[in-house]
Amino acid sequence: MRGNSTVLLALNKVLTRKLTTLNQFFLHARMHKNWGFSQLNNKVYQASIEEMKHADKIIERILLLDGLPNLQELGKLNIGEEPSEMLKLDDKLQTDDIRHIRDAIAVCEGEQDFVSRKMLADILAQQEEHQDWLDTQCSLIDTLGVENYLQQQL
Amino acid sequence: MYVCLCKGITDKQIVQAVNNGTASVRELRQQFGLGDQCGKCTFMARGVINEAMQNSSARQNSSGKPEIFVPSNTPSVSSSYFTLPTN
Repeated sequence: MRGNSTVLLALNKVLTRKLTTLNQFFLHARMHKNWGFSQLNNKVYQASIEEMKHADKIIERILLLDGLPNLQELGKLNIGEEPSEMLKLDDKLQTDDIRHIRDAIAVCEGEQDFVSRKMLADILAQQEEHQDWLDTQCSLIDTLGVENYLQQQL
Repeated sequence: MYVCLCKGITDKQIVQAVNNGTASVRELRQQFGLGDQCGKCTFMARGVINEAMQNSSARQNSSGKPEIFVPSNTPSVSSSYFTLPTN
């Protein structure tokens, strides 16, 4: 099926962000693990796998629309040096991702590609969930202090 | 955070380098090899340099010392060279 080129461009942009985010989350998860924060490792690792699944859906959709998924493009990774900084950087990245997905949804709506729109809307719902988790962690660090917070993440 | 992941250069290292007289991404490249590999970090590195330079000039102005012009394109000259001994 021949897809709309504007939609394909928007999907590829979201794909680039997905690939970037999954790499950042994966490295952060394993850094948490290396320092012994296994709770953080589990959660962030799972989020990275979710990003991979989202990327998979987008890749399949682009192929179905006779486009070429660009897996070569990768954005800048923002890797922190300590756990609280890493969570803040993840939160920022997730917020940016959500904004870009919303833009892509608007493009799909405008071009009447309702199937791509639904796929992105489903992805968006999961993104918002993880962003909420990240927001909660950042505010917990503020209220408990970073040492108390990290003690619960062993 | 890590600005350049390829060479493992952090923002703190860049701020330190700026305080020691580094003023451009080119000089960071000469010192650390920053941006030699994938080049994705140069944009952010420039931002870190600008911020650090603003902060250091604000600190110098508030400390009451006279402002001394340091040419930005001479990497070997550090600003401490110009400060007079206090005793």
